[in-house]
Amino acid sequence: MPPAAPPIDLRPSYRAATATALGVLALYVVTLAPTTAMWDASEYITAAYVLGIPHPPGNPLFVLLGRVASLLPVGGIAYRVNLLAAVCSALAAGVWFLVAERVLAQWIRVRWVQIAGAVLAAVLSATAFTVWNQSVVNEKVYTVSLAFFAVVSWLTVLWCDDPDGRRADRLLVLIAYLIGLGYTNHPAGFLVGPAVAAAVLVRRPRTLLRWRLIAAAVLALGLGLTPFAFEPIRAAHHPALNEGEPTACADGFALGCTLSDTTLHRLMDNVNRVQYGKPSLAERQACDPGNEPPCSFVEAFPAQLGMWWLYFKWQWFRDPHGAQPWLQTALAVLFLGLGIAGGVEHYRRDRASFWFFGPLVFTVTLALVYYMNFKYGASQAPELADVPREVRDRDYFYLWSYSAWSVWAALGLVAAWRALAGRAGEPPRWRATAPVLLFGALPLVGNFRAASRAGEWAPREWAHDILDSVEPYGILVTGGDNDTFPLWYAQEVEGVRRDVTVAVTSLLNTDWYARGLMRRPIYEYDAAAGPAVYRGRHWTRPTTPILSLTRAELDAVPEYLDVRQPLLFQQGNIKAAIDPRRLEFGVPLRSDLLVLQMLKDNIGVRPLYISRTTAGYANALGLGDYTILQGLVTKVATTPVTTSPDTMAVSGAGHIDVSRTLALWKGYGAPEAIRRRGDWIDRPSAGIPALYTVTALTLGEALAEQGRAAEAQQVRERGMNVAEAAHIMDWFVGATPPPPTPAAGSDAPPGTTLPAPR
Amino acid sequence: MPRSTSGARRRARLASAAAVIALVLGYGDLAHGGVVVAPLALVIGYVVLLPAALLSH
Repeated sequence: MPPAAPPIDLRPSYRAATATALGVLALYVVTLAPTTAMWDASEYITAAYVLGIPHPPGNPLFVLLGRVASLLPVGGIAYRVNLLAAVCSALAAGVWFLVAERVLAQWIRVRWVQIAGAVLAAVLSATAFTVWNQSVVNEKVYTVSLAFFAVVSWLTVLWCDDPDGRRADRLLVLIAYLIGLGYTNHPAGFLVGPAVAAAVLVRRPRTLLRWRLIAAAVLALGLGLTPFAFEPIRAAHHPALNEGEPTACADGFALGCTLSDTTLHRLMDNVNRVQYGKPSLAERQACDPGNEPPCSFVEAFPAQLGMWWLYFKWQWFRDPHGAQPWLQTALAVLFLGLGIAGGVEHYRRDRASFWFFGPLVFTVTLALVYYMNFKYGASQAPELADVPREVRDRDYFYLWSYSAWSVWAALGLVAAWRALAGRAGEPPRWRATAPVLLFGALPLVGNFRAASRAGEWAPREWAHDILDSVEPYGILVTGGDNDTFPLWYAQEVEGVRRDVTVAVTSLLNTDWYARGLMRRPIYEYDAAAGPAVYRGRHWTRPTTPILSLTRAELDAVPEYLDVRQPLLFQQGNIKAAIDPRRLEFGVPLRSDLLVLQMLKDNIGVRPLYISRTTAGYANALGLGDYTILQGLVTKVATTPVTTSPDTMAVSGAGHIDVSRTLALWKGYGAPEAIRRRGDWIDRPSAGIPALYTVTALTLGEALAEQGRAAEAQQVRERGMNVAEAAHIMDWFVGATPPPPTPAAGSDAPPGTTLPAPR
Repeated sequence: MPRSTSGARRRARLASAAAVIALVLGYGDLAHGGVVVAPLALVIGYVVLLPAALLSH
């Protein structure tokens, strides 16, 4: 008679889970970004450091956690906040270990096999590209959400085990609290709610009729939402980052202004992300070529699903330059199949937890694809030239989907192992067939180079370079995320060039941003820390605010001027004819009016610069005759610029200040950082390295015109090295190279309702 | 009353009281412009003490 199977042992292996999480954390630390990164990383690191308020909904829980992380006595501030992302993801990996082990325990009675399968789930979920890449720099708040997802999942699995047990009700109340608390990190915190509801409905439906328990859960959910109170209280102190300005208090915290209707209104606008004006779900966004949104579900949903599939392919082998597309697709099909097989096994072996985990995968995959309602992805279907696209790749929104799918893929791989071991002999020959698990290491190997952010210094250097391009006390007009957030980080976290006022046009269209600029202190220029080119000269510190307007006048600046005829701007020796047709929206917006007001108020006080990432903004304002290129920025001169031995006119680039640009160029740190790294983070932000190359080519041309051939060659070579390292040589060589895209992508709100076109 | 139940209640009360103190301290310091004690107290209150209190009730 065969020996009886050992009884099911559901004791969680907490020690093994902890060891696995620590292993994952070690991997993340090895590949951790040493400093800030492009896109939102700088904004969130800055928000954490200054205990500020990032873009709506304001993410108060993240800010609190980030601030605590920033106090750790290890590395620099950015490193510490990046470490928070790593710890959260490692925690999630440890919890996925427990969930997978729990499923395997119902199915396989060999303890070490259960643990091996659980480790596999943790490693796969931790090394899926987007999870890994987001865990080694705190670009967003999503890894904190992932930790919440995982913890709520584990608590729900425990509840499903014993829904009538002594602690079952407490678990449900705690789950409700954590869902609320997770929402204050990011609204995605609620995504786990439907799966919990499904699990309760299937496992013990009468729970939903226990009104006292439901009331306690609702109260706990509400308690979890209370960190939103952080926003108005902190906003009243007007920290350096105070997006949405959710307070009516002008001069510090007071109960009266905090408990006012204005504060409540602003807070709710922040929490509900009103400034983004998300279209209704019926207005689908991923429309066919030539069609402007909105379009029908039938037209858009396949493309939106296609976006998810594109990023799904990235998870198992990120091939950023498309070197091995067949391998990438083959691996994606493999892991899709493994995930489906794992889902089926989960259903067969552990129905109780399946009715939580299955709905969770559905919610963060199909339901989320529908809800997010994206346009085409930035990298999706590049052959479609004229479709509306997202400004960047949105794979991070599906991080939870790929993380959860990895757990199923691991279960699928264990099912394959079980089949092989069974075929090899009876009892199953687990050890002999264990090498099949090596498939689970493929993402670890295939994603290592692309996911790692170790040694990535270029974004920080970029921020230093562009700030140093601006003369002391200058105003720098920027356009969006990548030419703004790293500068905030450099100024507020590292204390670099705080004398420069950064004014981003996309936020100048909101009402709160200009108020914040007016409040900003006038910082002393630190000549010793600034570039050598500004030394040996006296720079007068301004004493007047950046705008001469009163608070009431500022608030009264209209959202736009409904004019289509050319306007004349005149101040001092500047006469600019503004043709509204050349402006982005065909009419002058509040941001355009405020930039002109800054120019008007600061002639002889603060030099005005326009970042060259704004793609011709100075020309659109009719200031083309007054601009001169100085490094990465364009200075607006107070008289028309004329050609001189040191001010050369370069075809297609306008005038360039040769000696200033050369001096700045020699001090720029990003070209070397990009060359050392040998790559750039993503194609949508590659306009930044392209700007360095364009600057080098323009400067090289001017130097050659001056007869300085050797210097010209040296500058050009360094510039092309940047393009080569960033993999954007196709933008500069070839028969018909496409022009570089603007460097500053932006998720920032338009903030303006435009008049109908005439 | 069994001893273990009484102990659990005491722990629950202790955790709840500690959570309330942490949150009051955190929000109080925040209102005064604090940027060190406030986040520490609020994180401990929300992430450690309140969950502990809810689980032990």
